[in-house]
Amino acid sequence: MIDAILGNIIWIVLITVGGALISWGVHFIPVGGAPAAMAQATGVGTGTVQLAAGAGLTGLVSAGSMMNLTDDLLLILASGAVGAMIMLTVTMIVATWTYVYAVGCVPSSAKVKVDPITKYRQDNYVSQGTEGHGIPTVSFVSGAIGAALGGIGGSLVYYSLIEVGMSVGLEGSAVTNAVTGNWLVAVAAIFAIGIFFVNAVIPSYNIGGTIEGFHDPKFKKWPKAVVSSLIATLLCAVVAVVAIAQLGGI
Amino acid sequence: MSVGGSGEAKGGYPVQTIIALGIVGGLVGIYLGHFAPPAYAFFGGIGAIFATIWGADAVRRVASYGLGTGVPSIGMLAFGMGIIAALFGLSIGGTAGPIIAVIVAAIIGYVIGALSNKVIGMGIPIMEQAMAEISCAGTLVILGLSVVIAGSFDYAAVIQYVVSTGYIALIFIIGGMGILHPFNASLGPDEKQDRTLMLAVEKGAIALIITGFASSLHEGLMAASINMLIGIIIWYVAASKHYALIKRDAYAVVGTGLLPSAEELQ
Repeated sequence: MIDAILGNIIWIVLITVGGALISWGVHFIPVGGAPAAMAQATGVGTGTVQLAAGAGLTGLVSAGSMMNLTDDLLLILASGAVGAMIMLTVTMIVATWTYVYAVGCVPSSAKVKVDPITKYRQDNYVSQGTEGHGIPTVSFVSGAIGAALGGIGGSLVYYSLIEVGMSVGLEGSAVTNAVTGNWLVAVAAIFAIGIFFVNAVIPSYNIGGTIEGFHDPKFKKWPKAVVSSLIATLLCAVVAVVAIAQLGGI
Repeated sequence: MSVGGSGEAKGGYPVQTIIALGIVGGLVGIYLGHFAPPAYAFFGGIGAIFATIWGADAVRRVASYGLGTGVPSIGMLAFGMGIIAALFGLSIGGTAGPIIAVIVAAIIGYVIGALSNKVIGMGIPIMEQAMAEISCAGTLVILGLSVVIAGSFDYAAVIQYVVSTGYIALIFIIGGMGILHPFNASLGPDEKQDRTLMLAVEKGAIALIITGFASSLHEGLMAASINMLIGIIIWYVAASKHYALIKRDAYAVVGTGLLPSAEELQ
């Protein structure tokens, strides 16, 4: 057990970094929660965990498919980032269509007077009694950045876990005719998902349910969540690495 | 989205009773399911139901303070921690696997609870204890439902029949639903512990039915039917009791009738 930890310190560090990246990335995602579902707050109308997990898990799938083709870490991370970005930007654009054409409100932020990117006035368009609605440009860009960070973090965790398994002699690629049966891929994926959920929930407690993006005053609180995630992920990483290293013995 | 009010959850069974019920019921169920022949794998599911009750009660206590975000987040966190602790425990523990898994889960949960309070500053007095409890309950639910599918908690068997077939994702969501849904559905000023926990039993029974269905792959049709039958019986009893408790707590239960037709609206 100690050998497994000492022999895989580099991967434990990478998993921890990946967890911190996920945690940081969540702060960029415009999460509106239940108020946004009623078009009373800026952002997509669902919870942090659902949005981050949706984007991150898509990132895992695209990173995993890239791992069938290459073992170049940079390409795998890029694939994970792009997968997560596609997932989240599609969610945001479809939500925007709903807000604009179905609910009938103008995408606007209540946290800033002018959009930092387009320089358009925001406060004139915020309906009375709401905290903004829809997804303004700055939140959209911020969300795309957040999804990229989440995708990179998730892929880093997954890649590291696969490498730990390959170091004890397991097969890392799933290019066989069998649909099931690749133990390492299954275990690494479910551990990556577990670590992803832990790191999606910790920042969601930090931002208290809703955030508009990097222009939101709450964004400045990110170091707290990242420090928490570093410690929590380190603990999870040690445990996960030992469990995967034990796979070699069965 | 600040839901769940702000304050201590009141009334009902004392905390210690629920914790004892969860740990003892969960572990006994898991061990019985492991050592008994495959046809008795449903004991794992019954253990998972006890653990679900414990987890739902811990969620109820901590979410009563108001998490600042939706209640479902804490259920997902429970299973994120639980899945890592459960597989770790089985990988190094052998027969003592579930006990090691619970201890590791308690440590991870306590650390995350302490981080939430000390670093993030959530200021919930029972956060550390509740997180440890939720994490342990999540671990026990995963182990219990894995025993239903694999027939034992042997690491190789669980990896082969539960993880590499992908049923672990099913357990993740359906077990998480049992822990997060009862309080999420029942919260409000009229929330009562017995009604919330009866919903947890019902959700646990649904988990047993579905994992029982999944167990037909490895344990054969006979064992799977027994698993599902036990699940359906528990579900029926719990759902009837839950409906009776709803009728007890509601001011009135009335039928709204069908939608009026176009002529009647004239």
